[in-house]
Amino acid sequence: MTEPSVNLRNPALAALLAWLIPGAGHIYQGRIGKGILYAICILGLFFIGLIMGEGKIVYWRWVNPLQNPEKFPLYYLGQFFVGLPSLPALLQSLLERYGHAPILGGFMAEPSQNALNALQNRLGKLVEIGSIYTCVAGLLNILAIYDAFDGPAYQDETSPDAPAVRASAGGIPAGGSA
Amino acid sequence: MNPSASVEVYWLILPLVIAISLVYSASRHESWRRIWWHSARLCVWIMGLLVMATAILLLINTQA
Repeated sequence: MTEPSVNLRNPALAALLAWLIPGAGHIYQGRIGKGILYAICILGLFFIGLIMGEGKIVYWRWVNPLQNPEKFPLYYLGQFFVGLPSLPALLQSLLERYGHAPILGGFMAEPSQNALNALQNRLGKLVEIGSIYTCVAGLLNILAIYDAFDGPAYQDETSPDAPAVRASAGGIPAGGSA
Repeated sequence: MNPSASVEVYWLILPLVIAISLVYSASRHESWRRIWWHSARLCVWIMGLLVMATAILLLINTQA
């Protein structure tokens, strides 16, 4: 079986880009089609979920999960991996923690408990589904980040549509580190 | 929420399953033919399992 290689260029930079903007790491590596596929799937899921929850389901608050598990925003652990689109939540929580007013009109700032209850009453299951969409989007981006860092898991046979660059400088065999 | 609305909510699983199967397959392969094929199979598997689980739960629920 032939071993097609994928030119991963700088894998660490590609992984960072893939985290910041889903698909960007692959586009940097010249894997344009894959980059677009990841961007559509991951960003699509994230923004559809965000719209379902009227923009109030992505937020972070600094609580100890062991002391206050009910208040711990578990979904954000997944949402964080979508990268730049979810970072305003972290920024807003840091501002609040250090006593500053929220910026960006309070976008992704932690909503009050009353606001969350009202949202739950008005939208019902859509709040949970939106949270799941945004969280799964982040978890899927972990796969994409790993793909940008280490190439695809399986060594496919060479095919004309794969952007394989055989053993060029920085080219790492698909499916593992060199 | 009325019953018809709760049934419509089930359709929201479809984009989620499609996105999961596409991203998972794309992280496994580099060839587009394999990505589409793997993704289609995975999508059918996940949907099949979900439909089966839903049917079993509905059956249990209506028997009680």
